[in-house]
Amino acid sequence: MTLMISNAKRMKPCALAGITCLLAVSAASTSAYASSNSPEGATTDATINVLMPDPPPPNLAAFTAKTGIKVNWENVDFDSMETKIVAASTANTYFADATDVDWSVAGEYAKLKWFYPIEQYLNVQSMMPDVAQLAAFKVGSVYEAVPYDSSFGVTTINTVMFKKAGITSIPTTIAEYTEDLQALKAKGVVKYPLNIPFAAGEWLSTYWYELSYAYGGHVLSTSGKPLFTNPSSPGYKAAAWMVNAMKTGLVAPGEIDETGPLAFHDLVAKGLVATTFQDNAGHVGTLYDNPSASTVVGQIEYIRVPGLNGPVAGLDDPDGIGIPRTAKNPKAAAALIAWLTSEPSQATFAGLNGAANAWSAGMPNRSSVLEQLAAKGLAGGRFLLAALKASQPAFSPAPPVAYPQFSEAVYTNLHEAAAGTESVAGAMNAIASVANQIASEGD
Amino acid sequence: MSEVCPPPSSQLAKNVTVTNHEGLGSASPAQRERRNLRSPGVSRRRRRSDHVGYLLVAPLFVLVVGLVIVPAAFTLGESFFNVNELNPPVRFSGLSNFRQLVENSVVRMATVNTAVYVVVGVTLATLLGILMAVLLQRRFRGRSVVIALLILPWALPGVIEGIVWEGIYDPNVGLLNSVLTSLHLIHHYQTWLGENRFVTIALIELVQVWQIAPLSALLILTALQVIPDELYQVGRLDGCSSWSSFRRITLPLARGGIAIAMAQAVIATLNVFDIPYVLNGTAPTAAPLTMETYLVSFQDLNFGQGYALSLFVTVVTISISFIVVKTVYRQVEY
Repeated sequence: MTLMISNAKRMKPCALAGITCLLAVSAASTSAYASSNSPEGATTDATINVLMPDPPPPNLAAFTAKTGIKVNWENVDFDSMETKIVAASTANTYFADATDVDWSVAGEYAKLKWFYPIEQYLNVQSMMPDVAQLAAFKVGSVYEAVPYDSSFGVTTINTVMFKKAGITSIPTTIAEYTEDLQALKAKGVVKYPLNIPFAAGEWLSTYWYELSYAYGGHVLSTSGKPLFTNPSSPGYKAAAWMVNAMKTGLVAPGEIDETGPLAFHDLVAKGLVATTFQDNAGHVGTLYDNPSASTVVGQIEYIRVPGLNGPVAGLDDPDGIGIPRTAKNPKAAAALIAWLTSEPSQATFAGLNGAANAWSAGMPNRSSVLEQLAAKGLAGGRFLLAALKASQPAFSPAPPVAYPQFSEAVYTNLHEAAAGTESVAGAMNAIASVANQIASEGD
Repeated sequence: MSEVCPPPSSQLAKNVTVTNHEGLGSASPAQRERRNLRSPGVSRRRRRSDHVGYLLVAPLFVLVVGLVIVPAAFTLGESFFNVNELNPPVRFSGLSNFRQLVENSVVRMATVNTAVYVVVGVTLATLLGILMAVLLQRRFRGRSVVIALLILPWALPGVIEGIVWEGIYDPNVGLLNSVLTSLHLIHHYQTWLGENRFVTIALIELVQVWQIAPLSALLILTALQVIPDELYQVGRLDGCSSWSSFRRITLPLARGGIAIAMAQAVIATLNVFDIPYVLNGTAPTAAPLTMETYLVSFQDLNFGQGYALSLFVTVVTISISFIVVKTVYRQVEY
C-alpha cells in the first residue's frame, strides 16, 4: 500500500479484455449471483457511494437493475483513496459505503476497527473453497474484506534470451537462477538481465518479501519481530543478493530511479531485461503480448519462483473490497460486494461472456473462473491456476499493524543500500528497528 | 568609461519616491491636518461607509477564520498532544512531539533537503523571473502570445509536470540521456535521480523552477510596466548604459514585484511535494518536509507529530517570507 510509487501493484493486468480476445468465447447466460452470499435485508432503492482504484465494471447497471441499488462509483487513485480512508475514519465521518482494501493494511484496519468484519454481512465460509486469497484479509478471527481479484508473485523469463544464452533448463533454485543471470550477461545477450525495481516504492518491499520467502522464510515472526538481522537469515540473504545484483551489473543502474510500475514492467515489454524474479501474475497474454506495447510478444513465460532447494509458492497480493464502519448503508454495500465477487460476475468480468463486459480490475478472484479461462486457452492458464491455489500470505498470521510504516522502512533502506549510501547490514538494522518499534507498540 | 548615471533617489526624486513598506500606513502632516478639518457630516458618512466596508469583508473574514485561523489554532494546540491512532489515547505530551522530530534523522535530512530546495528554487526562479520580465518589458509583436505560453508551466499541475519530466530524466529511455548521447556529451546513459543526493534535489528543483519562474516573471513584469519611460529617457540623457539603467532604475523600482515574486517562490519551494513525489518517490535522499509531514500523519497515523511538523513548516514559511519582504520590498510612488 502506501504511496503512488507504491502502486506498482495497482498495475494489475489491465487487459482482461485482451484475454477475451484470445478466448473468443461465445456469450453465455449471466445468472444471478449466488443467493447464498447475498446479505439479508439489503436495502433496495438505496444509493451507495463506492471508492475504488479501478473504473466501474461495464455491466454495473445490471446490479442496479437486479437490486434497485444505485451505485456512485468514484474512481480515485490508490494514494488519494488511502488518504481519504485515514482522514474520514480518524474523524469518524462518512466517506463511502464500500471501498478498496489492500491486503497489506488489513492488520491496521482490524486494530483500528475502521471496517466492519465482512462476515457480519456476507457468508464468507461459502466463498472459502473458491476464493483462495480470502485468507489474505483474515486478521485473527475476522475478515476485513473480500478479494475482488487475485494476484500473486510469479517469476517471468524471456525464453528467447534464455535460449540465446544457451540455457536449456528452467531454473528451479536461486543458485541456478543466479548462474543463468550471469550467463545472460557474460554472453552479451542482454546488458542487464535482471529486473529489480530499486526505486523507493512498495514494489521493492514485495520483491524482498518474495525473495526472502524463496530463501526459506518470512521476514517477520508471528509476533511481528524481525527475522532478518542475522546474515544467515533468509531476509538478510535476499537483501544481500538484490544489492549484489545491482553492484555486479546484473541490474541496470537506472532501476534505482525507475519510479512507477509502468516503467518497471516496460523494461520487460521492451526487451531490456531477461527476467523478473518477482513479477505479477497476469502480464503474460496481456501487457507482454500486446504488440502495441511490447517488443517481446510470445517470448515471456511464467516459471515457478526459484527457491533455495526448489520452487516455492508466490506470495499473495490481492485487492479486496470492504465496508467502512462509517458507511450509511452497509447492507446495500454488502449486496454490491456479493455481486462483484460472485462467480457469475467474475466470469463476466473475465470476458467469458463476451468482451463488452470484461473488466480491467485484474485476474478473477475465483479458482473456478480461472479454471474456465485456462480451459478456454488463457496463456499460462494452467500454471496460473496451480500458482493461485498454492499462493501464500506474505505475512503470517497477518501483516503488521503499522504495515505502511514497516514497508516504508523496507523500501527506503533497500533503496539506499542499492544506491550505495547504506550497507546491507545497516539497512537490515534500520528496518529491524522499525519492526521492533511496531511490534512493541502492538503489544 | 566611468558611469555617471545617478541613482533614482537624487535626480529622479522629483518624480519617484521609494519607501520601505512601513510607510504604507503612515500619513503626512498635511494629510492628518486635512483629516482633522473634516466636517461632522463627512464624518458620519465616513462611519456609514466604514460599516458597509466591514459588512462587505465579513464573509471573507468568516472564511479566513474558519478555514485558516481555526485550523491553525487547532494545529498549534494539538501539536502538544500525543495524537496517534495506533497508540491511543490522546494525551498531553508537552514538547515531546517536537523533541522526537528533532531527534529523527529522517526529519533532519528532510529539513536540509528543503533548505536546498528553497535556496536553489528561490534564487533561480527570481533570476529567471527578472530576466524574462525584462525581456518582456518592451512591447513587440506576439508579446501577448509569448506571455500566454510562458504561463503554461505554472498553470499545469505539479503531478503532470513530474510525469513529463520523468520521461526526460528516465535513466533507461529518457530524453535527456538520448540528447546528450546524440551530442556525444556522454557515452553511456546516466542515472540522474536517486544516486547523488544534491544532484537529485537540484534536478527536481529545476522542474519546480520551470513551474514557478513564469509567475515570478509576471509579478516582476507588473512592477516593470508602471515604470515611466521618462525615467529611462532621463537616464539616457545622463549617460546611463543599458546595464546601468537596469541596475539603477529597473531593479530599484521593481523591488516591490521582486519581493512578492520571491515570497511566492519561498512559499512554493518550502511546500514542494508533488514533483519530488513523482520523480523520486518517498526516498529520503530528496524528500522535503511536507512529504515527511504526509508520511508521519497519513502513513504512520501519528497526527501529533504531523501537527508539530506542519506548525514548524508554517512558522518557517511565515518567517522567511517576512524576512524577504522586509529586506527586499520597497514601496514606489510615481
